Amino acid sequence: MHDVLASGGVSLDPFLGAARQAALVRARQVSPIELVRAYLERIDRLDGRLRAYITVTREAALDAARHAEDAVTRGAPLGPLHGVPFAVKDQFATRGVLTTAGSRILAHHVPDEDATVVARLTAAGGILLGKLNLTEFALVGTIHYPFGQPRNPWHTDHDTGGSSAGSGAAVAAALCAVSLGEDTGGSVRTPASWCGVAGHRPTWGLVSRHGCIPLSWSHDAPGPLGRTVEDCALLLEIIAGADPRDPLTARRPVPDYRAALTGEVRGLRVGVIRELTHGDETEPEVRDAVVAATGVLRTLGAEVDEVSLPLIPRAGAAFMAICDSEGAGLHLSWLRSRADEYDEGTRRRLLAASLLPAVLLQKAQHARALVRQQVRDALVRHDVLVAPTSHRAAPTIANFTTPITSTKEAAARFFTRRSFTTPAALAGAPAVAVPCGFGVSGLPLSLQIIGRRFEDATVLRVAHAYEQSTDWHRRRPQL
Amino acid sequence: MPELTEAQVRALAETLELPMTPDDAAEVTHRLNAFIEALAPLVDLPAGGPEPVPAPIDPDGA
Repeated sequence: MHDVLASGGVSLDPFLGAARQAALVRARQVSPIELVRAYLERIDRLDGRLRAYITVTREAALDAARHAEDAVTRGAPLGPLHGVPFAVKDQFATRGVLTTAGSRILAHHVPDEDATVVARLTAAGGILLGKLNLTEFALVGTIHYPFGQPRNPWHTDHDTGGSSAGSGAAVAAALCAVSLGEDTGGSVRTPASWCGVAGHRPTWGLVSRHGCIPLSWSHDAPGPLGRTVEDCALLLEIIAGADPRDPLTARRPVPDYRAALTGEVRGLRVGVIRELTHGDETEPEVRDAVVAATGVLRTLGAEVDEVSLPLIPRAGAAFMAICDSEGAGLHLSWLRSRADEYDEGTRRRLLAASLLPAVLLQKAQHARALVRQQVRDALVRHDVLVAPTSHRAAPTIANFTTPITSTKEAAARFFTRRSFTTPAALAGAPAVAVPCGFGVSGLPLSLQIIGRRFEDATVLRVAHAYEQSTDWHRRRPQL
Repeated sequence: MPELTEAQVRALAETLELPMTPDDAAEVTHRLNAFIEALAPLVDLPAGGPEPVPAPIDPDGA
């Protein structure tokens, strides 16, 4: 029911990209009110199972849609996201709207201002549909989600990936046009990968973190998830740029990211990261899909060869030492006074980081500098690096809910997977995840494209060229 | 490096005034030992090279 939206005589597919929806609103072919109603209907029908949302801002969204429609009717100037329903990870502050960070500790937290990224999306005409589920405080490893277990739209026994769990699921299931997540060490790219959508980790410093509940100040990077790379470029264009309230944002002008989506990659030098693509941890179906994807890029005229980044197998542990230590520092007071309000998985992760010897943290920071240098050196000889986004398709939810009973199991569960997404985070580099196939279980697989700092346009261009040469992004989960 | 025992982990946590349940202590011990084991090879990294600044520095950036 309502999988095709009827609006003013025009049939609109809820899986249509946000950029296309914005164009139809501008052309008066689609009503923002009908768009919002349609997504609310899908949320009502599907989100009881998927639990992508923590809060749905139903009345505020309908009110905003009426104003948006009025602006179209009056011929007022329209922003690039005018009338398009979006949703944001519940890590971003929203004025007057519950902002929980997925934790019981903030179960009643209502901010009095919007995060910069939320303010920019609404100023661009976007309509906030609600706040999306996540692993507690954006730390992957939640066992019991306080606001419901997010489920993968492709197979509801399987995990969505985190931490931006709802941001991935909501886009994949067309419960919003486009979403915003936050990527500390893979938290946009992993849910994008496992849910079969596009997700972009921007260059660190390109997007303001003001109003984003922090996990790791030196890695946190708000970024978009969309059903197309074009939608990621559209959102990035809106949220990027200097913000006086985040002094670590760069003062560079923001490029026209959508204009960069030319489909042209001829002559671009693509380096396939050997350790991640052909390593022992990588599932054969993932390796084969990524190798096939590099074949597509070669067919499009890119020059593809292999590159070795020897420190990458250490990236996961080095990242977690730094990220979790920064997080543990932020949470020390609550760990002492409200420990029982944390999910056990979050609490134990933060406790372990609290006890990490300082000298090992220093070594992890040294390793970060060396990984950053290896990534940067590889990007002197190559325009982009490619690798699997994850070493496997989405595992079952049960895979993450069993207690850890050995050192070996702890290492396997926490460090291996993170070696795939953390090199870009350690380097502060931009990276896109884009669907590149489906595994034997019918779950999505994903290609990761990493670029030079502030060359987000290049990684988006390569991702878009690949996406448009394949039809993986056109497939839909059966819900 | 030798593995930490659960008793040692409890003692460390008490020093920092961090409450832990018995189940927490068992699992935190595994997690902490996994950290120490995974980070141990980093001790042998060459001491020179780039300085470990926490975030990339851009001349015209932040």
